[in-house]
Amino acid sequence: MELSWRSKLETLLGAPIVTESRAPGEADAWRGIMDEPESAVRPGYRFRLPDGKIRLIVCADGEKVEYVDLQPGELTGREEALLEWLLAELERSGRTDEGSRRRPDRELRRLGEWIQEQIGAGRLKAAVPDELNAGGRLGSEWVPFLLMADHTAKANDAELEKLLQAYLETDVLLVPIRDQEWLILAPDTLLQEEGGGEETPEELLEGIARGMHDMLASEWLGESHIAVAHPIEPASAIVETVSLLRETVALGRRFHQGDTVHVPWNIHLERLLHSIPEEQRIRFIEQAVNRSDLLLEPEIVTTLETYFAMNCNVSDTAKKLYIHRNTLLYRLDKLKQDTGLDVRLFRDAVLVKLLLLLYKVTKRR
Amino acid sequence: MAGVRLEHVYKRYPGSDVASVKDFNLDIKDKEFLVLVGPSGCGKSTTLRMIAGLEEITEGKLYIGDRLVNDVAPKDRDIAMVFQSYALYPHMNVYQNMAFGLKLRKFKKSEIDKRVREAAKILDIEHLLDRKPKALSGGQRQRVALGRAIVREPQVFLMDEPLSNLDAKLRTQMRAEISKLAKRLETTVIYVTHDQIEAMTMGDRIVVMKDGVIQQADSPEVLYNHPINMFVAGFIGSPAMNFIKGGLYERDGAVHFKAEGLDIELTEGKASIVREKGYVNKEVILGVRPEDFHDEPVFLEASPKSIVSALAEVVENLGHEKNVYLAGLGSDTVIARLDGRSDVKEGANIKLAVDMNKIHLFDPETELNIFEN
Repeated sequence: MELSWRSKLETLLGAPIVTESRAPGEADAWRGIMDEPESAVRPGYRFRLPDGKIRLIVCADGEKVEYVDLQPGELTGREEALLEWLLAELERSGRTDEGSRRRPDRELRRLGEWIQEQIGAGRLKAAVPDELNAGGRLGSEWVPFLLMADHTAKANDAELEKLLQAYLETDVLLVPIRDQEWLILAPDTLLQEEGGGEETPEELLEGIARGMHDMLASEWLGESHIAVAHPIEPASAIVETVSLLRETVALGRRFHQGDTVHVPWNIHLERLLHSIPEEQRIRFIEQAVNRSDLLLEPEIVTTLETYFAMNCNVSDTAKKLYIHRNTLLYRLDKLKQDTGLDVRLFRDAVLVKLLLLLYKVTKRR
Repeated sequence: MAGVRLEHVYKRYPGSDVASVKDFNLDIKDKEFLVLVGPSGCGKSTTLRMIAGLEEITEGKLYIGDRLVNDVAPKDRDIAMVFQSYALYPHMNVYQNMAFGLKLRKFKKSEIDKRVREAAKILDIEHLLDRKPKALSGGQRQRVALGRAIVREPQVFLMDEPLSNLDAKLRTQMRAEISKLAKRLETTVIYVTHDQIEAMTMGDRIVVMKDGVIQQADSPEVLYNHPINMFVAGFIGSPAMNFIKGGLYERDGAVHFKAEGLDIELTEGKASIVREKGYVNKEVILGVRPEDFHDEPVFLEASPKSIVSALAEVVENLGHEKNVYLAGLGSDTVIARLDGRSDVKEGANIKLAVDMNKIHLFDPETELNIFEN
């Protein structure tokens, strides 16, 4: 069993690494025994304690400090300087945080390439080969998120992984798939709520995805699209899931412009309509309504989309659109007059809803 | 703290010939509360997103303070966003939500604690710090979203319709709270809304946008009293300004506006302007705000040359005022806002005096305000 670098360091130095939590006020205790300000507490920093021992900082963040105390003279000056440099370099590359068990980037990148190959070849049920199984970890349940960056700035995978781990407060697997596209696997313990929850798993997943989107918008490089699915066992389902999530984002971008978080359980109708051949869609539109051009007018489209979003409630729709109730009724009456469709009747409402969706994916003659 | 400057900014989406934002020039002063307002699709959110760094600027320059930030990532612009679709982090409690950004930036725990508790105190959510978002009401979540932004002590706050998901009562309450907060923090705020009441009550300055273009940028008072065109005139004010098509003619040395059902005399000041600009014997559009109709006897007596008669089709009694829907003045319904004590009855023919000092005239082709251009 391979020892972690911490264990190796403890063995080499012959002293344990001590972890201390840093609560507000404790900073003063450190200041009492250090000449430099508390902000100097960083990996590699060393200073003499009142009892003569040398304290070497191994890791430091806002919440805890890890250090090892050495007897004076135990290390030569050169060895101390080497250690200081090594720990500082480890911290810069993000390897000092105990919570961050970093997987070899190469392995995950190869996994991403393999996934892309399988999707390209149509092998959606392909199982992950043993050598790409992240040490057997893909055999347990993970929550899959697909992140597609919308900005052109080049992203740093290490930085992204750190952000995601900070946000999700847990270890994640970040699998780069294509340029500006990543699969994020988070433990399914995400769905466990303290004290039981009233939210459904879908609500929880969507909420976490939306929070992730907001977090990345303000703390990363800009806009992105995120899709999330139910937990999977990646070893057997990863290819199919990535394909599903990609489709979810594509359909979400097509049918719900302006949305940036997409979930597969909300787009069943869109998926069905998208699968209908173009000719059939055009024929359906031509046969279903007298004046198909009317459903292209921005005002009527906005009115109808809001009406359906408000569950066909006239008062709520008028409020949302900031128009008088009578104005809304006038518009609906006009639509009925021109197209023969009265969206206040269920059957016609369904038809108009389908037509509005179809318009988004159909070239019109 | 810093101002924001946009110089000849354009936004074009790939594959589209039409610019969503066109030649946007604006200098926002430090600590100013600036509101971008306009109908859906006018480009206000796109403009805000360009300032935030969530949309690329196709052409032009954006400065925050003295720094050119066109190519600077959102996280490095020293801004804080509170957007309509804000999502609190559902698995974190309120304290953790507010602390998150600072934790990422490796602030000391003591500093994080100080900032979070100070912001919580300002927002009156200290008692909610241990709660998860799902246990909060809409207004409370809104405050947490604001708190998340406040703790960062940014140079600029960007808010995109943050109140649109709240009910009307809560929206009114939060409007006042955000205004107070902005004054207290003394930070530049750029606020987007399509609600002109929000704009008028909150902004030091309002920018009215339409089709990606700035129509007018000025204080609420100036926009309300001196709208530069029909769009601004009709967009600002509720109920909206009444527009009546008609023409100007001269009689006995005075200039009159005549339309179906009304013939009123302009003040000498306004008459000389229309003469100078060559609008006599031309078609124009009269603009009258609902509150500039009066039925009080003292007003009727003092304004014999601007009295109109109309049928009160509908009377909406709001208690402190009455909105009266009038027929017979021009071809469209005209709305007058009368005092709540008025005894106007539905179905009655009533006489009203128009406050001729407050009327506007617009060119029917350019839609520009004749008196303001």
